[in-house]
Amino acid sequence: MILVKDLSIERSNKKIFENVNLSLGPGKIILLKGKNGSGKTTLLKVLLNLIEPSSGVIYWKGKLLKKNLYNFFNHVTYIADRTSSLSKLSVQENIKIWTKIFLSNISNSQIENILKTLKLDIYLDQKVNSLSFGETKKLEFLRLIIENKKIWILDEPLSNLDNESINVIAQTFEDHRSKEGSIIFSSHQESEINVSEEVLL
Amino acid sequence: MMILNKIISFYYREYKLNLSGFQDILTNIIFFFVSIFIFIFSIGPDKETISSIGIGIVWTLLLLSSTLSLRKFYQDDFENGNLLIMHLNGLSFGFIAILKTFSHFIFVQIPFLLSIPIACILLNIANDELIYLFSSFAIGSFILSCLGSISSSMNLMNQRNFLLGSVIVMIFSVPIIIFSVGIVSLEENFNSLISILFGILLIVFAINPWASGLCLKLSLENN
Repeated sequence: MILVKDLSIERSNKKIFENVNLSLGPGKIILLKGKNGSGKTTLLKVLLNLIEPSSGVIYWKGKLLKKNLYNFFNHVTYIADRTSSLSKLSVQENIKIWTKIFLSNISNSQIENILKTLKLDIYLDQKVNSLSFGETKKLEFLRLIIENKKIWILDEPLSNLDNESINVIAQTFEDHRSKEGSIIFSSHQESEINVSEEVLL
Repeated sequence: MMILNKIISFYYREYKLNLSGFQDILTNIIFFFVSIFIFIFSIGPDKETISSIGIGIVWTLLLLSSTLSLRKFYQDDFENGNLLIMHLNGLSFGFIAILKTFSHFIFVQIPFLLSIPIACILLNIANDELIYLFSSFAIGSFILSCLGSISSSMNLMNQRNFLLGSVIVMIFSVPIIIFSVGIVSLEENFNSLISILFGILLIVFAINPWASGLCLKLSLENN
C-alpha cells in the first residue's frame, strides 16, 4: 500500500537520514529503530506529508502520495508522542468528542470493554489532567479503535508504559495485523512486539 | 454530508472546550468593564465629555480585550497535536483556519457584542447610536478574528515574544477603528462606511485561510 523509495532528509544542511526504502502492505508491522535524533519522528512526518523530503518519493496505492493525500488520510490514524486528549475535559467527554469527530460507529459496550482492558474504566468521570502520563497515553490508544482505520502510524507508543500495558498494545497490534491492517511505529526501546520488519535509522 | 458532520463535531468540540474554559471568557468581559470604569473615573463625572468619546473608548477596549484571548487561538491545539489530528481527519489547514476564526467570533467576540448595550449605558451613549455601534462591531469583530487567526498562526513557533501577535493585530486594526467609529459619528454616511468595513472584511476573510493555513503547516513542519 505504501512504498517509500530512496528517501533522504536534510535539514539546516545536516543529513538526518538517507536512502530509506520500505514498503508497508496489509498485515505488516514495521518498527523504526534508532537513537534519539536519528530521524524516526521526521520519517513519520514525511509519511504524513508534513515535511518535504530532500529526495525520494512515496507512493500510496501506486500513485504519488502527494497527489492522493486526502484519500491516504482517510486510511490513517496517527498517534504522536504527546497526548491529544483535552486535559480540561473528562475521559468520557474526550471519548464522546473523538467518536463525533471521527464519525465512529463504535458502540458504548465496545468502548467499555477496551477501557476495562486498559484499566481506565474507573477514571471515566475524571478530568484528563488528573491522570498520570502513562494513563493519558493509554487513553490515546483508544483513538486507534475509535477511528477504525487500516494504517496506524505511531510515534514512540511504548514509552512511559508499564509491561502490562505494553502487552495489551502488542495484542492490539496483533489483532490489527490479523485484520489485514498495517502498522508503522517508532521506538528506541526493546519490546516483545512481533514485527515484520525493522528499519534502523 | 460527511464534511457537514465533521464541521458540526468540530464546533461541538469547540463548545465543550470553551465551556470548560468559561472563566477565560468571563475574565475578558470583566477586563472590558473594569477598563470602562477606569476611563469613567479618570475622565470625571461630566456626562457630555464621556458620551462624546464613549464610542472611541468602547472600540479601543473591545480591541484590547479581544486581543487578550489571541494566545489561545491555536496554541493549545498546536501543542497537544489536535491541529494535526484535524488535518489528518480530512480538513485542510486553510479550512481549519476558517472554522477556528468562526469559533473565535462565536465564543469570544459575541459575548462582547452582547455586553455593548451595558457599556453604552455606562458611557451615556445614546440609544440611536447603539444600533450603529452594534452593526459596526458585528463586522469589525469578525475582521479582528481573522487578523487574530493570522497573527496567532504566525506566532506559533515564537515562544518568547507573544505580544508581537497583539501588536500586529492592533496595527492592522487602525483602519477598522477609523471606519467603525466613523459609522457612529457620521450617521449620514452609514451605508458607505459600512460598505467599506464590509469590503475590508471580505479582503481579510479571503487572505486568512491562505495565510493562516500556510503558517500552521510551517509550524507543524518545524515543531
